[in-house]
Amino acid sequence: MTTLPAVEKPPTVLQDTPAARPKTGFRRYWHLYAAISPFYLLFLAFGLIPVGFSLYLSFHRWDGLGSMEWAGLAQYQYLLTDSDFWQSIGNTIIIWALATFPMIFLAMVTAVMLNSAVRFKNVYRFAYFLPNVTSIVAIAIIFGSVFSTNFGLMNALLQAVGLDQVAWLNTPWGIKVAIATLMTWQWTGYNAIIFLAGLQTIPSDLYEAARIDGAGPVQTFFRITLPLMRPVLLFVLVVSTVTGLQSFAEPQVLLQTTANESTFSGGPDHAGRTMVLYFFQQTFDNNDFGYGAAVAWGIFLVVVLFSIINWRLVQRRGEA
Amino acid sequence: MRLSRRGLLRAGLAGTAATALGGLTSGCAVPTGSTGRNMVLWYWSGGLSDTVVKEAKARYDNVVSLKAQQIGGYYRSKLITTMAGRAHIPDIAGLKGEDMASYLPNAGQFVDLRTLGADKLKSQYLDWKWQQAVAPDGSLIGFPIDVGPVVHYYQQAVFEKAGLPYEPDDVSKELDTWEKFFAAGEQLKRRIPGTYILTDVGSVFEMSIGQGTTRFVDRDRHFIGDGEHVRACWDRAVEAKRRGIVSDIVTGTPDSISATEKGQLPSQLNASWAAGDLKLQYPKTEGKWRVANCPGGPSNVGGSFLSITKACREPERAFEIITWMLNADNQAQGFVEAGLFPSTPASYEMKKLREPDPFFGDQITMDVFGPAAEKIPVAFNSPYDIALGQPIRDEIKNVGVLGKDPEKAWSDAMSKCRRIAEHLGVSY
Repeated sequence: MTTLPAVEKPPTVLQDTPAARPKTGFRRYWHLYAAISPFYLLFLAFGLIPVGFSLYLSFHRWDGLGSMEWAGLAQYQYLLTDSDFWQSIGNTIIIWALATFPMIFLAMVTAVMLNSAVRFKNVYRFAYFLPNVTSIVAIAIIFGSVFSTNFGLMNALLQAVGLDQVAWLNTPWGIKVAIATLMTWQWTGYNAIIFLAGLQTIPSDLYEAARIDGAGPVQTFFRITLPLMRPVLLFVLVVSTVTGLQSFAEPQVLLQTTANESTFSGGPDHAGRTMVLYFFQQTFDNNDFGYGAAVAWGIFLVVVLFSIINWRLVQRRGEA
Repeated sequence: MRLSRRGLLRAGLAGTAATALGGLTSGCAVPTGSTGRNMVLWYWSGGLSDTVVKEAKARYDNVVSLKAQQIGGYYRSKLITTMAGRAHIPDIAGLKGEDMASYLPNAGQFVDLRTLGADKLKSQYLDWKWQQAVAPDGSLIGFPIDVGPVVHYYQQAVFEKAGLPYEPDDVSKELDTWEKFFAAGEQLKRRIPGTYILTDVGSVFEMSIGQGTTRFVDRDRHFIGDGEHVRACWDRAVEAKRRGIVSDIVTGTPDSISATEKGQLPSQLNASWAAGDLKLQYPKTEGKWRVANCPGGPSNVGGSFLSITKACREPERAFEIITWMLNADNQAQGFVEAGLFPSTPASYEMKKLREPDPFFGDQITMDVFGPAAEKIPVAFNSPYDIALGQPIRDEIKNVGVLGKDPEKAWSDAMSKCRRIAEHLGVSY
């Protein structure tokens, strides 16, 4: 509110005498800051304050309605010994790995194909991008059908090639594979488009030179395309790490069964209970808001750790 | 007017400042509750009869303007966020039955309905339902909407083919205990291979717990989930698994839908409101189903309440409205329209609730639902019940689905409960 009176006299800034020039950055550029203020005001209200509050909350016990009770570091102490939380980290990483590596491979193949497509280029691009803008809930419901035991498409395929049925949504590994497949399907097209953009920045004279030197298509791919695509590849890896570590709706919708049951339990043996799902269960099923906040900060640290690993990978490349 | 860059910047600035200022000033004056003549009512889709809500609006239009709002998404978290934020709190708020335990310790946020004369109406409502809304300090925070008596839904033709009792009265009489129900399950599987009386073991455990008067945590904040009463329910679920009468189908998947339609899962133990789900999910099976008593006795799943929050400026008026909306006549309307089973026994005798239901082969289902609703045991529901029941539920699922060793599963459940109890400050 203090900035308001100044609104009437921005001309003073423009009428500056040379003597008044050496102003500090903020006083000189405040109107520019003000112009971009909608972003940081909104960020303050809906980003920073809630983040700060969740940190405050994680040092308390709170049922969401009554009075808060100071708990010190008790929530974090419990977090460290909570085998359910560690299991959820393991689940998340396994699902992430099962989803990301096939996804990157498929996206790369798709991108190369898109790059060499002659006709209907835009139709293909649109089609591949579509899964990414489809509602995750709708996708999860469809995948629930695809992976159902007796009438699912997946088991029909397995049986067609002479294999046994798998109770996908009833076995720990089946659940993880089902969730990972869903995520792969959703993100392949999106990343293929990004790879495609990367492919198009590679100058064609490099390929021509390779051809003249007698390199085959496989050699060209591994010696030219892949090395030059590395920055794009790392970008895709970083983005899918951040999204993959926060997977929530996929297991939640895929594994919800009846109305009488918690939708956050993640199936048999909690096989599909990811970190964020566990956070939801603690907070909204058990009304343990303090512990929920501590879990959220635990998730934050895991994501930070992975971001550092990613960052180091990028850095090392820069040095080389 | 010419648009200069400077002018544009200035306009943008003024606009931003005005918005920020507006936000701040209105921020200072956000009312705690409703404003003006408004009386705000929060509920969820299907939580009240639309007709009754509409009639209540018209009926009280001369005194208040009733703003009934259906809140979508995760209802409870939206309600408590609003209450914790102390802004725009509804005057009247629906409370879901399964969340009651978590509202009761915060009874101070709601008007004690006894102070408005609720006790005079007590005799018209199911006693066990009434008790569910009584807080530890004795105050009454919710007024009963509906209840969810659990019954046994079954497909008559399949039972007949398997040589089992198939008329509702006979099923109620001859499958009245879990033991007889399990034996029937064995016969069903023997006579019609591939047919299971139970979809999963969870329902046996859940309904058995609901048939008792003690759950997982007692009034003194003591964990009792390791007691005989829970262990008996556990053993019963394990026995169902051992006797091979449980399918390996996941509820809600296309598998379970197709198996149910084909009569391979001809039986469901579920609450009264599940009748609506059956009609919606299996329209092709119309006329095949019947309703009988649940083996082992009556229990309840779900059902909800209306409360008056402390932010309400006219509690007397609000009380008048909710008691009118939830009187026996309107509860009967709620059942006909939205499948909300009345908490007012007087409704059970009403003609419109005693219509033969074609989906259930023209059975008068009230003959089963009504008596079941009146005999539901009163159990104390602790706010820690969900957290401390979950490990046991999870492990029984592992036994049922993954074939985990029951003894190992029980001891895993207990050690997890012990850890959670310690964390929540529940004595073990």
